Amino acid sequence: MPTLTPTAATGATAKVGPMVYVDPARMQPADAFAELLADTSMNGPFIADLLSSMLSHERAGAHLYRSVQGRTHNPVLERQYEHFGEETREHVGILEGLIAQLGGDAQYVSPAARATEKAGTALVESTFLLGGSLDLVDRELVMVEAVFLAEAKDQANWECLARLAAALPESDARAAFESAAEQVASQEDEHFLWARETRSRLIRAQAQSPLVVDATSPIEEQIALVESLIEQH
Amino acid sequence: MAFNPLEESGIPVEEQFRDWSELNVEPYDKATVDPYTRTRVILMNGAEVESILFSHQFARQTDDLALKQLLAMGRRIDQQQQKAVNGLNPGDQTPLETTIGYEQVAVDLTAWLARHEPDPQLKLALDFALLEDFDHLYRYANLYDLLDGGRAEELTQGLTEIMPGRPTALEHRHPYDDVRPHFETHAVDPLSRMHVMTIVAAEQQTMNFYMNHGSDWIEPLARGLYAEIAIIEEQHVTHYESLLDPLDSWLANWVFHKYNEVYLYSSMMGQESDRRIKALWELHCNMEIGQLQVACDAMRRLEGREPAELLPPALPDTPVTFEPNKEYVREILAGTVDLRTDGPDYVSVGDLPDDHRYFALQRRLNSNGVPSEEVVDQERQARGHDYRDEREGAHPIGDLRQPA
Repeated sequence: MPTLTPTAATGATAKVGPMVYVDPARMQPADAFAELLADTSMNGPFIADLLSSMLSHERAGAHLYRSVQGRTHNPVLERQYEHFGEETREHVGILEGLIAQLGGDAQYVSPAARATEKAGTALVESTFLLGGSLDLVDRELVMVEAVFLAEAKDQANWECLARLAAALPESDARAAFESAAEQVASQEDEHFLWARETRSRLIRAQAQSPLVVDATSPIEEQIALVESLIEQH
Repeated sequence: MAFNPLEESGIPVEEQFRDWSELNVEPYDKATVDPYTRTRVILMNGAEVESILFSHQFARQTDDLALKQLLAMGRRIDQQQQKAVNGLNPGDQTPLETTIGYEQVAVDLTAWLARHEPDPQLKLALDFALLEDFDHLYRYANLYDLLDGGRAEELTQGLTEIMPGRPTALEHRHPYDDVRPHFETHAVDPLSRMHVMTIVAAEQQTMNFYMNHGSDWIEPLARGLYAEIAIIEEQHVTHYESLLDPLDSWLANWVFHKYNEVYLYSSMMGQESDRRIKALWELHCNMEIGQLQVACDAMRRLEGREPAELLPPALPDTPVTFEPNKEYVREILAGTVDLRTDGPDYVSVGDLPDDHRYFALQRRLNSNGVPSEEVVDQERQARGHDYRDEREGAHPIGDLRQPA
């Protein structure tokens, strides 16, 4: 079962930062993961921090899908969010497995992972904190946009991972990178392309729709429009 | 004690309203109340106030109607809870007597948390401010005797010693030196997070109380003492709140607040000697469980996070306990009274350079009399000695012993 939120109970560790203190019992030293990819030209500690950050992004993605799946009024989107959410949770597990294979710690939360998590939190908050400013159609678009942004970075992460793998000499490490990237590549491409296309469809559907709804329109009309947007095209 | 609040339903929030007669509780008798019943009342009032203020800050970040309504509902219930709790304080307990109760809370809560704190750096943060609140108790006790002829030991009943700590006059630090590094939210022990949230609430309440009641007196010395110590409490709130990780989302913080209140009410319930008040703690504990469910549901629905991912499988085995900590306080006093801060770090005052901003601020603030010193000077002039209640022998610091 992949970890969606590292905690002390799951064995979370972290590094000390300029304003971050970590209990010595759960602290990763500054030179942690120096042995990662030691036989290569790669910067092991940086790779460890990078993988932690990518993992944080996948975890945030899993939460985002769960959130929007429960709040969308469009059954097509709901099914897609559920499906992609399941795959994203699998990707969390795959990335955790890669980290473990390389000798890293999947429960390690790097400084970069913290920044990634902050961005992810802001992204999901953007889909509900200003819900009072939006009609239901706009909210659906905001949710799709959040997914699009998340998947854009996600796809770029895995593409970057594949390139890093190509820079490694033939080794178990390279094989591990390549295996992980291969397992998710087509799905990540699908997630990103779907999100990009769906955002475009929603925008075009609204732009070309004779119906004008806003936040003051009856809820039933707003929901009906949301349900119809994806079906129309 | 160690139950999992997530597995309890508690009282549904919609069923938590009480009428005015239920909120207008009968206060305790200040002459017979167990001092630790008083401190439990003070602590839980602080917890409710923090919950309310947090909820107001959260509500200002969103215009989502459903979310704002949930927050408003929870806040109204918190306000009712706060009335019932704070209403236990009797009207014939003067603000200064309440203040002595506040400082007894500060000393024995901080010391207990420090003794049970698994993280050494967080323990150090608690120990550091402990000696300052300990000194505040001493200064207010001297004011109580000077103005009212009151013996603070009748309030504290010898459970908490009253003698100098780190002298208040020396506690005034530059604001930059009150900010500490924070724990990392993923790696932190859940108990540590609750300790920090609890002490923030307690110190914030004390800060608010002194901010508002300092002008209740006519005597300039009393007004001055409250102003001076209120500023220290501002320092303490800055010090403690900086230990919290800003990475946690608003919704996660809401869940953490409610979880901590369940922990605190269940702790108070377990040790309360007054049966009537014990029943109130139990009622509020069940209310908080119901409120926790609302916060958890909001986080689950809006952030897609299961509360069980964030929260431990059960409350801590050890409840927050009010009990004497005299030996511990003396030990910390003997070892760390000379500590100051330099940016995020703790240093001995002897290691600060002469041009450190600490000394500059000391000169600026203390150049025209210091109320916390004057109150003791006036008490000595009036009585021949200062007021203290030392129960475990001579003061561990020679310079702070009663002058011959």
